Amino acid sequence: MSPRRGVVYIVEDDPSFRKSVERLVRASGFDVVALESASSFLAKRSIRRPACLLLDVRLPDIDGLALQQKLIDEDRNLPIIFMTGHGSIPMSVEAMKKGAVDFLPKPFEAKELRSAILKALERDAKNAKAELQSKRAGSLIDTLTPREKEVLRWVITGKLNKQIADVLGITEKTVKVHRGRVMQKTGVSSVAELVRLADKANILPAS
Amino acid sequence: MSLITIIWSMVAAACLTMGTMHLLVWRKRRRSWSNLLFFLAAAGATGLILCELFMLRARTPEEFGAMLRWFHIPAWVTVLALVGFVRYHMRAGRLWLAWTICILRTLSLLFNFLSGQNVNYVEVTSLRSVPFLGESVSVAEGVPNPWMVFGTMSMWLFVIFIVDATVTAWRRGERGQALTTGVSTLVFVLMGVVQGLIVLLQIATWPVVIGPTFVVLLGAMSYGLSRDVISAAQMADDLLESEERMALASEAAELGFWDWDIARDHVRGYEQWLRLFGFAPGEAISLSVVLQRIHPEDRETVEQEVQLSLKDGRDYAGEYRVVLPDGTERWISARGRLYSEAERPPVRMLGTAMDITKHKQDDMEMSHLRLELVHLARITTMNACSGFMAHEINQPLGAILNNASAARLLLGDGREDVSEILSDIAQDARRADNVLRRIRGMVRKCDVQMEPLQINGLIQETVGLLKPSISSNRARIYMDLKPDLATVNGDRVRLQQVLLNLAMNAMHAMAGMPVRTLRISSAMETPDRVIVNVTDSGTGIEEVDTDAVFQPYFTTKKEGLGLGLAICRSIIEEHGGRIWAENHPDGGAVFSFSLNAWRGGPE
Repeated sequence: MSPRRGVVYIVEDDPSFRKSVERLVRASGFDVVALESASSFLAKRSIRRPACLLLDVRLPDIDGLALQQKLIDEDRNLPIIFMTGHGSIPMSVEAMKKGAVDFLPKPFEAKELRSAILKALERDAKNAKAELQSKRAGSLIDTLTPREKEVLRWVITGKLNKQIADVLGITEKTVKVHRGRVMQKTGVSSVAELVRLADKANILPAS
Repeated sequence: MSLITIIWSMVAAACLTMGTMHLLVWRKRRRSWSNLLFFLAAAGATGLILCELFMLRARTPEEFGAMLRWFHIPAWVTVLALVGFVRYHMRAGRLWLAWTICILRTLSLLFNFLSGQNVNYVEVTSLRSVPFLGESVSVAEGVPNPWMVFGTMSMWLFVIFIVDATVTAWRRGERGQALTTGVSTLVFVLMGVVQGLIVLLQIATWPVVIGPTFVVLLGAMSYGLSRDVISAAQMADDLLESEERMALASEAAELGFWDWDIARDHVRGYEQWLRLFGFAPGEAISLSVVLQRIHPEDRETVEQEVQLSLKDGRDYAGEYRVVLPDGTERWISARGRLYSEAERPPVRMLGTAMDITKHKQDDMEMSHLRLELVHLARITTMNACSGFMAHEINQPLGAILNNASAARLLLGDGREDVSEILSDIAQDARRADNVLRRIRGMVRKCDVQMEPLQINGLIQETVGLLKPSISSNRARIYMDLKPDLATVNGDRVRLQQVLLNLAMNAMHAMAGMPVRTLRISSAMETPDRVIVNVTDSGTGIEEVDTDAVFQPYFTTKKEGLGLGLAICRSIIEEHGGRIWAENHPDGGAVFSFSLNAWRGGPE
């Protein structure tokens, strides 16, 4: 079976369980990186996307829930599937609230695991795509001069050139020139596309 | 009217008045013999004075002789009464002397009637007129009676008797008594003796004037007696005051006093007692009426104990329930002491009763809480055991299932036989898991009851439960509870069990240490987490890995199962909290746990 696109990072301290789950995930067609502690995961700087984390709740150094919090704090948005020996309801509620994909009590079925992993990878792929688009949009916006950026922020509010000229205290003609250059630099052909691009690049309409 | 008649009559009247007053006192207090004896002496003196008056006024020797004869009856009464008075009032004087005086005086009285005209003269031959107080009075002349020696002897012995009694009283420190009663009686008796001598030996011609001196004696005696009356009045005042103080004390201590007159079977209850037993003031109360107020289950015991106390003469003490007419029940702790006079059976029982309903309720609540804790401890132990079991077995079971599933995936569609074996393996792993789940489900029947809790209140309740073992270990406990902590969501009894476990462990760790100090503190760890620390001054944790102490079956105690801390951890983790242990820099160990603040609303 050919590996599917996506890497599953496993963090589990029990060696025999870690080995078994590594085998199962690999056999299900995913790439696997198996680690024995939360700190060795945190030490990994580069993560191949899309990816997800298969995390044991109880770990010797930093427990699963604390690792989840740490990743949120560091803005490393990785979908997490929790595994637990005997999970309690409050604990799983806490984890799910913070955005965990699933909470699997041990022992679990191969099918359950696979669907959880697929869901997690799909979410991460979406995240990765959005991140990429935002990055691209951002770099396009970066080519604009400050004045062009300002005009852009007014254009996406849906205002007419005349109105923008009034606000900025310049002629309508100048607004038209800036607007044309913005469209040219970003390669879009309509105001609707411009609005979408600005949204991806986190540019807010002027007010 | 003549001066003599006036003086003698007034003196007689004074004696009689004083005597009557003491007779009245004696009628009220039958045991105060001094008052009766005083009355007799005074009555005798009255007669004596009247006889004397007639003698002074006698016209013929016969008249004088007859009056002198009658004179000896009141004289006898007076002497005997005085002897008795000295004995009783001064509580001194030799008994044999007293008896001798009485016998001699009685003999003298007998001879007074049996020989001659009277005991002084065989016959009064003539009367002489002597000037006295501006008048002329009669003085007898005649043949002396030899039997008068008894009377004279009795008087001399009387003098000795009084001197002896006075000295004894003086030595005892009762100087006022010795002076008033002793000396005045002595003066009076000496005057009688001296006059007797004068008359008898006819040293001088002198009328018989014993009477008026008597009023001085009576005055002195009466003064002594009055002092008793005054001090009795003072005592009554003191008694009233002390009773008022007692009422105040009884109110403050909520003690009810009672006084049981056993012979008349009458219980006198003071205000507070009446209130405790629900009696109206003035109600006639006997023992059986009191027993009726006692709870039927306790009644027989109380009755038996009271009887036993009466039989053995020892104090009564007991606790029982009282049921008031309106049906309210209260617990009473009562004590009683028997009082008896001399060697006779007890006549009174005095005692107190106290309302201990509140104590009893607290005790009952405490023991109820303890029972509940014991019950829950058992359940949580089982729960925790099955929890560890589940965790320990779930890991290998999960690995088996994972491996079987992985092998089936790797095997693909070929080798039906191996594939079947692998699915059987997976199937059995699932079956084992189901068994575990069922066991856990059974144990979990006792539901966790989550509610918003104030952790400080929980700590204080737990410390209340710990008090007995803290004091028996002679440990000190300090609480440092930060006010205004956030509310946590938790199961009251389970969290209390954690606190109890940590505190009891601390107590064990400190056994045999010179300083045993337990500190429990609470604070906000972060704005949304509450932290509790239990610090001891014990030996600290030897393990390098302080986390190991929370592992099941870890123990340092001979009799320990090693589940206490593991259970604590399982409870805290069930609450979504964290528990950990550290060694304190100053020695001893710190066990801490933190819980999420309750954000409100059901979850």
